[in-house]
Amino acid sequence: MDRIISTRNLVKTFEGGLVKALNGVNLEVSEGEFIAIMGPSGCGKSTLLHILGGLDRPTSGEVMVDEVDLCKARNLDNFRARKIGFVFQMHNLIPVLTACENVQIPMLELKLPSKERKEKAEKLLVLVGLEDRKDFVPTKLSGGERQKVAIARALANGPKILLVDEPTGNLDSASGHEVIQIFQRLNKDRRTIVLVSHDKDIAEHASVIYYMSDGKILEKTKRQATH
Amino acid sequence: MRFLTLILKNILRRKTRSAFTVLGISIGIATIIALGALMKGVTSGMEGVLKTGKADFSVAQSGIADFSFSRINENRTGEIQALEGVKKAAGVLMGIYPIEGNPYVFIWGVKNEDLQMFGVNIVNGSSFSQEHELIIGEVASKDMGKKVGDKLVLRQEEFNITGVFETGSIYQDKGAALSLKKLQEMEKKEGYVMVIYVELEEGANLEEICQRIEERFPDLVTIKSASELGKVDRGLEIMDAASLAVSFLAILIGGVGVTNTMMMSIYERTREIGVLRAVGWRRKRILSMILGESILLCVFSVLIGSLFGVVGVKLLTIQPLIRGIIEPMYTMDTFGRAFVVAFAVGLIGGLYPAYRASKLSPSEALRYE
Repeated sequence: MDRIISTRNLVKTFEGGLVKALNGVNLEVSEGEFIAIMGPSGCGKSTLLHILGGLDRPTSGEVMVDEVDLCKARNLDNFRARKIGFVFQMHNLIPVLTACENVQIPMLELKLPSKERKEKAEKLLVLVGLEDRKDFVPTKLSGGERQKVAIARALANGPKILLVDEPTGNLDSASGHEVIQIFQRLNKDRRTIVLVSHDKDIAEHASVIYYMSDGKILEKTKRQATH
Repeated sequence: MRFLTLILKNILRRKTRSAFTVLGISIGIATIIALGALMKGVTSGMEGVLKTGKADFSVAQSGIADFSFSRINENRTGEIQALEGVKKAAGVLMGIYPIEGNPYVFIWGVKNEDLQMFGVNIVNGSSFSQEHELIIGEVASKDMGKKVGDKLVLRQEEFNITGVFETGSIYQDKGAALSLKKLQEMEKKEGYVMVIYVELEEGANLEEICQRIEERFPDLVTIKSASELGKVDRGLEIMDAASLAVSFLAILIGGVGVTNTMMMSIYERTREIGVLRAVGWRRKRILSMILGESILLCVFSVLIGSLFGVVGVKLLTIQPLIRGIIEPMYTMDTFGRAFVVAFAVGLIGGLYPAYRASKLSPSEALRYE
């Protein structure tokens, strides 16, 4: 399988070097892989995810994502808009927009015609099982439904890679299970998924689990993913 | 969904806060509209008086702060008429009298033979011929419910109304005219007029004659157009300066209000802005969104402020103290000025918050609690 994410000696410091969030991370992910990164709070999982998604730049080291050198790329906005889909623990949907309108938000950057944006958003809501909720504002949706809208939003521009940060952290177990099933379905369609979680039960749905501590990857476990 | 829809929905999130911001700016806009309309009304009224009837220009006393203070020796009328190129010159006096609850009614003293020169067109009845006769403006006639044959009392003296006239100038049509001699006597200004109207011979050079008059009579000044009203009325210039100052204050106060509203809004939406950056929105789009919101707030303010301004002026001009003196005039220029001010408020007030929002690091914004 082609390698889609590769990092070498990735270091990220804050506070002028006083806080070392990443301390020489080496990671390789192949296209279509579903990996999970586990570790205690503050071990650098989210920082790593932010760097892989072009939200932040490393202090040193190398990082290549879908043939883009993120240390050298000048325009990371375009990279994020086209190649990456983010799902966060907090869905952060815009409260005054309907589910369908929220899904269209990333598409505004690609200048698609309004009608096309709407049709595409409706298809994505069908994909996550929310076709009958497309005109609902977030306050009228359950926590699980909101997270599904956030997944549809992450898929809006057809990214190859989904970066997922504690997606079930705020959900009950039934909703969490439904959300994980969506990620498994997306992975079956060869979408690469990098999931960050401190929940072992969630991480075990991935085919590879990396364990992080103090900004380093300590262990890698290959397993048979449960679909 | 369009980008504009998002901007509109964003400002409707905090309806009360947005409403108060709009209200604050609207008050500034209403003041600009009101002052502008009143200024235009006063200028137009003054212009109507100074360029009335057949007059090509008018002559007043130089160096005065207010047109009503002008005092010219009546002999100057004949001297100006004798100038080459001048067809006719007519001296007119003005007094302000309280009549039947209206404290400011303009009474014009004019010679019977100069009425046409003064722009008077008698629409009912006939002109005055006796000392205690007068003709009344069409608007004043309707306002006061006076008609030909009725009486009008000016400072305990009773006058018969012999005719109703119209000139097209509000200051004249809301007043009355009687013989120059009688008004000079009542005003204790025998031998003086306030303004001299001058009609030129065909082909005469206006500029050259005005220059000649000002050189020959240094105590006089000529007024050819509205732009020269400042020569005889500093009040208009002061009002214009006040209007500009209010516009500037409106920009300043409104701008601070908009900045405050938008800053609060972006603090509340920091994580959301982080998500927008995460899904690929460029800084420029974040900047456009926040600026769009502040400009849209100000566009709403123009609409509401214009309404406030028009209603406010209406309420003001029906007050007995003001009624009849100022007739507001609404022009596109007035509303255009208000729109430009509001747009500037939106742009200036929104610029800093928009810049701050666009400069947010997506990673830090997502961590914001």
